Amino acid sequence: MEPVPYSLYLHIPFCHHRCAYCDFNTYAGMENLITAYCAALIREISQVAGSAVDKLPVHTIFFGGGTPSLLPLIWVEQILETINHCYSLVPETEITLEANPGTVDGDYLRGLHNLGINRLSLGVQSANPDELRLLEREHDYFAVIEAVHLARNAGFDNLNLDLIFGLPYQELDTWEKSVNLTLDLSPDHFSLYALTLESGTPMKHWTDRGLLPEPDADLAAEMYEWAAERLDQAGYQQYEISNWARRTTDNVYRACRHNLQYWRALPYLGFGAGAHGFAAGVRTANILSPRAYIQRMEKSAHRQFPRSSATANLIEVDQQAEMGELMMMGLRLTNDGVSANQFKTHFGESLSDVYGKEIEQLVRQKLLEWVPFEDGLHLRLTPYARLLGNQVFAAFI
Amino acid sequence: MTDLIRNFCIIAHIDHGKSTLADRLLQLTGTISEREMTEQVLDSMDLEREKGVTIKASAVRMNYRARNGQVYELNLIDTPGHVDFGYEVSRALEACEGAILVVDASQGVEAQTLANLYLALEADLEIIPVINKIDLPSAHPDEVAEELENLLGIPGEEILRISAKAGLNVEEVLEAVVQRVPPPRGRDDLPLKALIFDSHYDPYKGVVAYIRVMDGKLSASDTLRMMITRATIKPIEVGIFAPDLRPTSELHAGEVGYVATGFKTVRECRVGDTITLATNPAAEPLPGYRKVKPMVFAGIYPVEGEDYEDLRDALEKLQLNDASLIYEPETSQALNFGFRCGFLGMFHMEIIQERLEREYDLDIIVTAPSVEYEVKLKTGETILIDSPAELPEEGEIEEIREPWMYIQIFSPTEYYGTIMDLVTKRRGIFASQEYPAPNRVQLNFEIPLSELIVDFFDQLKSRTRGYASLDYQFAEYRPDDLVKLQILVNAEPVDALASIVHRDAAYHIGQTLISKLKDIIPRQLFAVPIQASAGGRVISRANVKALRKDVLAKCYGGDITRKKKLLEKQKRGKKRMKMVGNVEIPQEAFMAVLRLRED
Ligand SMILES: Nc1nc2c(ncn2[C@@H]2O[C@H](COP(=O)(O)OP(=O)(O)OP(=O)(O)O)[C@@H](O)[C@H]2O)c(=O)[nH]1
Ligand code: SF4
Ligand SMILES: [Mg+2]
Repeated sequence: MEPVPYSLYLHIPFCHHRCAYCDFNTYAGMENLITAYCAALIREISQVAGSAVDKLPVHTIFFGGGTPSLLPLIWVEQILETINHCYSLVPETEITLEANPGTVDGDYLRGLHNLGINRLSLGVQSANPDELRLLEREHDYFAVIEAVHLARNAGFDNLNLDLIFGLPYQELDTWEKSVNLTLDLSPDHFSLYALTLESGTPMKHWTDRGLLPEPDADLAAEMYEWAAERLDQAGYQQYEISNWARRTTDNVYRACRHNLQYWRALPYLGFGAGAHGFAAGVRTANILSPRAYIQRMEKSAHRQFPRSSATANLIEVDQQAEMGELMMMGLRLTNDGVSANQFKTHFGESLSDVYGKEIEQLVRQKLLEWVPFEDGLHLRLTPYARLLGNQVFAAFI
Repeated sequence: MTDLIRNFCIIAHIDHGKSTLADRLLQLTGTISEREMTEQVLDSMDLEREKGVTIKASAVRMNYRARNGQVYELNLIDTPGHVDFGYEVSRALEACEGAILVVDASQGVEAQTLANLYLALEADLEIIPVINKIDLPSAHPDEVAEELENLLGIPGEEILRISAKAGLNVEEVLEAVVQRVPPPRGRDDLPLKALIFDSHYDPYKGVVAYIRVMDGKLSASDTLRMMITRATIKPIEVGIFAPDLRPTSELHAGEVGYVATGFKTVRECRVGDTITLATNPAAEPLPGYRKVKPMVFAGIYPVEGEDYEDLRDALEKLQLNDASLIYEPETSQALNFGFRCGFLGMFHMEIIQERLEREYDLDIIVTAPSVEYEVKLKTGETILIDSPAELPEEGEIEEIREPWMYIQIFSPTEYYGTIMDLVTKRRGIFASQEYPAPNRVQLNFEIPLSELIVDFFDQLKSRTRGYASLDYQFAEYRPDDLVKLQILVNAEPVDALASIVHRDAAYHIGQTLISKLKDIIPRQLFAVPIQASAGGRVISRANVKALRKDVLAKCYGGDITRKKKLLEKQKRGKKRMKMVGNVEIPQEAFMAVLRLRED
């Protein structure tokens, strides 16, 4: 049997300014660390590769952040070279980089494309200036138009735009306008995220103190349903709760293969501060602070795969837990869901043996449905349940 | 022999300084060393220390060399002052010949000063009035002395003036006890009669019975018999309170001490019973105590069904420490298996709840309190109910009667208006007023007990900035236009949310309750109608909208652990809710009924 190809996630924890809703592991004003950080990243990439039994096959790479587009091209090049050297990349490996509009120009984008980056993900969030200001994003919508234009010119034919909905003060019509305007840019992929107020963020603080209205969950639901229909009309097919993609002229479906790896509970390695990995039956999490990460990576003694010198947390995943996680992640796939046969092959136990009671009840509540596929029945969320995923996932945890 | 024994208790209104005076007496007699001394040392329960309030009476033996050169054995019982614990005081009185009546020099005579004084007079005790806290700048001892002179007929200038805190004139108190409290009258050579006036539970010694030997004597080697329960025991030990349990060889007529019975339940060893010797029993038991009548009833349920047994054990143990707690099993369609409990008042209920949670580490739900109603049915039969859920259908009821109380409120005259307003808003009826001292008024009312138990006391305190005090006695049952206020969740009546209210108030209470429940009940997968109905008519309704959005957004960089933790947390929250029909109701909903009057 072919070994399952891996995915690699590289975390770039730097931003010019922290957005008001953001609780990601990212830091503003630490850009002076970028050089040392990239060097550390390279060490970690080779350290983990060195402890693997064989040269691992890799089919997706994802530069996430933070703002990866803050990386100088020279470092992107060195990182990719290291990966190429230590792992065996399959043909047409998907290599994504997240970029913030306003941090990229034509030269930079051309440079990325020449280095082999073949998918670009732009954090647009909204087309409305007031909303962008509330989120404390640093770009305006003109920067978005320009970035898309430059990206296309640079040769990117796989482009994602991120949007956020359910904002305080946001109305259905401003949301519709954001969706319509971004549709005009004709991206290949859309991610639509509902705003969650995370503790510790300025936005949460403002709503707690009554300075901002609480986002209206019912209105957010309406926005979601409207957008789902609009994207469908426009030829984008939904494949995950928050993700839509279209087909290219030669019929390649532009779903994000990297994220599919997570949702299918397949192995991935996480590099960089606070990065997460899942391989060889363990979930790993790296130390959060970039400074500490750099320090940790200065020592590079041998570690057991998939650990690195920066691993701060390790959870062994037993079969029971892995099954639960597969359900929790797999049921996010709105089209495919979880295949009964694949489940059985992977775990040696059938879905209905393990979760018979739970599934039966959720089907009765019209939250789950069985759908025939080529390889047999799949279990998936009903369209109604797409916004109620937690009610379903919790049953398997 | 009993000539050198004095048995006395300290009684007063709450916070007038009983326990502090006891501290000084313990120090003066050398019963407790300076090293062991803390403030209110007899308040040994955690809850007592934290709240600074005596909950349970405690006894202690002291030896005192009086000015006349004789050494006396003094048995002191410190009592609680809160209005809910009058029964506790009355039991202690039976073990004594005298009572020190403490009055705060800045507050004067208050509701429980009078209430406890009357109890002591009824028990035929010698009263030694003492004016305490004379060190306070706000003290007005002359006026208080005049009040007491009017009350007791003792010349004001003969009344002791002390500061328990500063230790001023405290020795005079002991001298007065020795000179004025009569020695106990019992005789060693008569058959044993010992009154059980209190008890507590000790994991090693079983039920420890607090006793006052009236006649005869006993030792640990005797076989003892409980005259009412007829249980027979070989005691584990007998002894005195020093103030810890200290074994002695014998207890004689007139003495106060304890018997460690080894019993595990209250069934065998009841407060109020008489202990005698199995070999030479007394002919008649002592009169004992009138049965305590609980005022307030509420259901106590474990949050997790599997804790039911633990809850029962805990209640059983608590009852050994607190003879006035009563309970019996009850089931609720909403809360499953639990207990209907009877309490002496709201403070008592609060104390029991806290002790269950803290000393026994239980997660419990306490339902809204209720009084006991008399319901006359159309069939002519009259039934007693202490839970709204038990109320029969309106069509079967001829008449509902509820307990009415006499209440006395003591207050500075300036709060006259606000007190009147509070009482009349709650269906109270003014009866009379008295002016026991300049600027002080005693207002007498009649009021339904049900109006009294819902935060009346807190309201009174806050309206009078803490200056008013309250005492109450049962008056009689009276009929009124009462209805059951039912709450229907998803068209099903929820018994634990029902209440009995006056018809005129039903509409307002129903609306307030519905709007509260609407916020408390979380959104479910389907819309949940909630309704209040009274007398067969829906008087208020609202909808808890269906849940539309409950999903985590981005799974950032493959961080699945965090997602999982959030889901686990959500799941735990669910587990703490009660399923009623197919609707999840959080615990706080059951308490919402209780808090209604606050708004
Ligand atoms: N200034 C002053 N304060 C006193 C005196 N005696 C007691 N206190 C204070 O009054 C408060 C109540 O005293 P306690 O001895 O607990 O009163 P109590 O009568 O036992 O109260 P309960 O048992 O709850 O009814 C405490 O804060 C004491 O410190 C006194 O002589 N002078
Ligand atoms: S750009 Fe992205 S990662 Fe950076 S602060 Fe804003 S939301 Fe967070
Ligand atoms: Mg006290």
